[in-house]
Amino acid sequence: MGENKKYPFHETFLKKEWSYSTGAVLLAILALALVTVTGSAWGVTGAFVMWGGKFLQLVGINADTWKGFNGALAKYNFWKDQPAITDTGIVVGALISVLLAAQFKIKKIKSSKNVWAAILGGLCMGIGARLALGCNIGSFFSALPAFSLHGWLFWISIFSGAAVGSQLLKKYFM
Amino acid sequence: MSDSTASTIRRTSSKPKETPEQRARKRKKQLTAGTILVVLVILLGLFIQTQNPKGAFIWIIGIALGYTLQRSRFCFTAAMRDPVLTGGTDLTKAVIMAIALSSLGYMALQMKLTGLSLENLGSETLLDASKLPGNIRAAGVQTIIGGFIFGIGAVIAGGCASGTLMRMGEGFMQQWIAIIFFVAGSVIGAVLLPIFQASPILYQKAPIYLPQLLGGWVPAIIVQFGLLFAIYVLADWYGKKKSGEL
Repeated sequence: MGENKKYPFHETFLKKEWSYSTGAVLLAILALALVTVTGSAWGVTGAFVMWGGKFLQLVGINADTWKGFNGALAKYNFWKDQPAITDTGIVVGALISVLLAAQFKIKKIKSSKNVWAAILGGLCMGIGARLALGCNIGSFFSALPAFSLHGWLFWISIFSGAAVGSQLLKKYFM
Repeated sequence: MSDSTASTIRRTSSKPKETPEQRARKRKKQLTAGTILVVLVILLGLFIQTQNPKGAFIWIIGIALGYTLQRSRFCFTAAMRDPVLTGGTDLTKAVIMAIALSSLGYMALQMKLTGLSLENLGSETLLDASKLPGNIRAAGVQTIIGGFIFGIGAVIAGGCASGTLMRMGEGFMQQWIAIIFFVAGSVIGAVLLPIFQASPILYQKAPIYLPQLLGGWVPAIIVQFGLLFAIYVLADWYGKKKSGEL
């Protein structure tokens, strides 16, 4: 505790964790500012599809002719893609946050279970987000408050999925 | 002193405790790196602005979202998972709060365009609700299937879309693997979606806008905020019951 007192400014402004309510209010304000200024709501996974398609093109598979892309890859520009910019921003913003709090630490993978969890979990999220036309942001945080029924449906289904996921997590990945 | 308990739980390492000198050095290094990163972020912002007229603004919002998510340990996955896994509902309540606040904002933005009695909806300038601010998208069986699969994935991977990105920044190697497969899964999903869209049972293409469905802004507001309030009260009660306060 003596160390904390040595740097009162750092402790108060950079290291102290914020409450969930603070987070909730700020997230709402930031997301609203984004949609008000740009006209398009906060989204995350729309960019992931394009990055995947671009990667396929890079290794010589022209996914652009597939129905799911339909020529979108040829027109794609990373710096004009709002989700691509905010996605990068979230990674960097979180990194700035932990560095300024002097809490950065590489968290290594402890077992092969974690690798499988990341692989299967990542695949499920990717597939699910495409089918639902968005993730917990695009089909929930930017949809439910916009009075879209699909946001409510997504909430019910992600909640049920999370309940099943919790059982799987306890059984196989912990 | 909940901060110090939280950090000991998070960092259970078998390594010997670092000396005060080591800690001071580490802190100096990280603060320097953080400061350099802030400068780089500003420079990159200037570059993005040359590529996209609103680029710098979008970039700063993204940075602020990441900073906020990390500082407040805000996690949508935990908000969905914890009621089942641990019985905790603090994050669930915070998510409901964020949603209710956002609803107020969207209501203002949308009302300006639709008119108070939705008179502009269906006009030449505002053909349908999907043109309004916010994601008003097709609602149907695909949403339920997609959301369900997404929920399973988010809990297993230990982070949803925003959470995965945030944890990448925090230094979690598991999320750096997850993102690769998240991208791969997105491509698989993009291939599957047209197959779903071809089936009238699996895919309903109409976006459903609550003020339109319920016949006006007043019932929509009552339903939206009424449901959010009811779920909040339920989450609060459930959380207290599980923690033994009731």
